[in-house]
Amino acid sequence: MMAHAADTRGRVEFRAVEIAFDGRRGPTPAVTRTTLTLEPGTFTAIIGPSGCGKSTLLNAAAGFIAPAHGEILVDGAPVRGPDPEIGVIFQQYALFPWLTALGNVDFALRRFGFSRAERRQKAMAALAEVGLRGQEKKFPGQLSGGMKQRVAIARTFAGRPKALLMDEPFGALDAQTRGSMHDLLSGVWRAHLATVLFITHDVDEALVLADRIHVMSSGPGRIVESFELSAARPRSAARFDAAQLAMRARILDLLRPAAEPAA
Amino acid sequence: MTASAPRRPPLRPALGRSLSGPLRPVVSLGFVLAIWSAVSLAGLVNEALFPAPWTVVSAFIEMARQGVLWEDLRVSLGRAAIGFFIGAGLGVAAGLATGRTQLFRMLLGPFLSLMRPIPAIALVPVAIVWFGIGEESKYFVIAYTVFLTVWFNTHHGMEYVPEIYIRASRSLGASRLREFLVVVIPAAAPHIAAGIRLGVALALLSLVAAELTGASSGIGYRLQEARQYVRTDRMFALLIVLGAAGALVDQAVHRICRRLVHWEQA
Repeated sequence: MMAHAADTRGRVEFRAVEIAFDGRRGPTPAVTRTTLTLEPGTFTAIIGPSGCGKSTLLNAAAGFIAPAHGEILVDGAPVRGPDPEIGVIFQQYALFPWLTALGNVDFALRRFGFSRAERRQKAMAALAEVGLRGQEKKFPGQLSGGMKQRVAIARTFAGRPKALLMDEPFGALDAQTRGSMHDLLSGVWRAHLATVLFITHDVDEALVLADRIHVMSSGPGRIVESFELSAARPRSAARFDAAQLAMRARILDLLRPAAEPAA
Repeated sequence: MTASAPRRPPLRPALGRSLSGPLRPVVSLGFVLAIWSAVSLAGLVNEALFPAPWTVVSAFIEMARQGVLWEDLRVSLGRAAIGFFIGAGLGVAAGLATGRTQLFRMLLGPFLSLMRPIPAIALVPVAIVWFGIGEESKYFVIAYTVFLTVWFNTHHGMEYVPEIYIRASRSLGASRLREFLVVVIPAAAPHIAAGIRLGVALALLSLVAAELTGASSGIGYRLQEARQYVRTDRMFALLIVLGAAGALVDQAVHRICRRLVHWEQA
């Protein structure tokens, strides 16, 4: 692990992290000892089959569950619980349906001690940034899935987290909406410079968004191979370069269940 | 929500479906009324025990003219309202306190389950001993019934606030107080509203039981009086008034609750 001296805001380190669940016969390992460093400002994707513990790893980084062994550090400070410095974007959006889009973003701004007018102006700007100008007064129930996730992205970035954890955020969206969400996320991410950990089961999504891809395998969950991407941005799943295509083939091979050999 | 699939015709008989919403109660009541009239006209029942619709109507007009009906209704609804507000207020407060605390959950859960089946009427002797035959004993019987239901629903709603809201709230740096006020309470609000609506229904249901604690006015009292004079026509009129008042109040509460938890229909 190399230390980057320049910008240390948002370094996320998993140190020998092991996560267990209480099974019927004592604790069952969900994730075996995993050591992983996310450099500040980078975009890391973790891909793996369902049940491989990729979301569990994210939940530990978010402070929702405690590792059985090891620790997770954000800029050197161990994660002890949910923290506004560590933003989370959920697949189910987790917007508060009783608050408007504006109210949801405002919720994240409360921690800064802004005046009412400042909060309102910042929340309006955050929604405009994700392309929701004019939708501020709508309730989540009145928005489509893609728009809800836009509100969630605006809400999370409004809290100015150093690190951003995204748990299959676009998994519930149709392919077309997902494509525009990738463009949106890439843009917002570069503007805000947060370290991103992105969980997905979609190879193309990982290849479009990430600087680094870790492939996980299940039983018990562990990282089996890692990839570095250097393709220029903005990227598109329709125009992968040779390196991306090779990576894509390799990752798909890794994801293929070992029990049934390829025909 | 988003675009919905084309509506398939519901698998119901066409007769029931062709009636539009606001007409339905009229049709339903008309249907019952027609059978009731037919039974009375055919002389199948003893008119003194089971009065005809028109006899009931004239009993209603008689009581309305005497002014007792409106006075009784006012007194009864007043009692139900006061008992309801005491019971619901305490019930919501208790539910908010107990629903999110492990200790309270453990201590009170089984106790609540034991108390809930006790009907309001069984409390009448206790109410008389504790509060005498004044208004307080009526409030007590009503408030107790409302309290249990509202408490139970509030408690339940608070207990099952989806974990994801709590996670989102904490990840966004909300204080515990903010989380409680802006996240937990609204998340539980649909349950609380359901409890309130049940509470209103129960306040009206336990009203007559409450008025058994020695009342000298109110619909329950008037029913007892009608029994002494064997005025079944008056009884029927009073029961219908009670039913109509209950249905109207329930609808009003339903509408208010739906507005308050508007996001639930989405």
